[in-house]
Amino acid sequence: MEKKSYWFDLQSRTTGMLAFMLHRLSGIGLVAYLYLHLFLLNKLRQGPEAWDSFVQTMRSPSVMALDAVLLFGILIHGLNGLRLTLIGFGTLLRWQRVLFWFCLTMAVALTLLGVLAMH
Amino acid sequence: MDISRSRWVWLLQTASGVALVLLLSLHWIAQHYLASEGLRSFEDVAAYLNQPLALTLEIAFLIVVSLHAMLGIRAILLDLNLKPEYQRALDISLWFIGIVTVLYGIQLVWQITHL
Repeated sequence: MEKKSYWFDLQSRTTGMLAFMLHRLSGIGLVAYLYLHLFLLNKLRQGPEAWDSFVQTMRSPSVMALDAVLLFGILIHGLNGLRLTLIGFGTLLRWQRVLFWFCLTMAVALTLLGVLAMH
Repeated sequence: MDISRSRWVWLLQTASGVALVLLLSLHWIAQHYLASEGLRSFEDVAAYLNQPLALTLEIAFLIVVSLHAMLGIRAILLDLNLKPEYQRALDISLWFIGIVTVLYGIQLVWQITHL
């Protein structure tokens, strides 16, 4: 019998599993965004009119709401990634749970600041 | 996979992640913070990419983000208990996708700066 995959476990309520799931889900989302971003940059090939009209669409409130989701994804993935780097090198091991909640709080706070700055 | 190889992969993923924090910050400042209303006009994009330092930064960003993304996808797929016989095919596929992504980006930049 094949071993069950463990990385996406909604039953688990531990901080470590929450951090792990959030890191993976934000990573998958950011890879999807990377390819969407590269695809949309194709508009630049079509010349100034096509690009500048596209930029106007990107400034609409609905797109800016998606920007907030993107910003949160980048922040939580980046901050938690730095936490994982520290832990991976054996630093601050005793503080890893506290550090995760700090990263999550910082990601939420910086996203809110970013949203305020966008408006 | 032997331990030394998995350790090198982890180090590469970590180093590219740390580099991305810096490169993404510079990309975001250049492309969104310094741009009027958060996005550059076509002329601004072309002028920006015609600067050697900016071009180097953006290409480096593309290479590092592609590497980090491919290593991330690899880690997720391996955690889904992929059969060992498929791991080599997975590695080759991800190398191919990563290289195509970087070449696509370089070609896009070349076209923009030569329009």
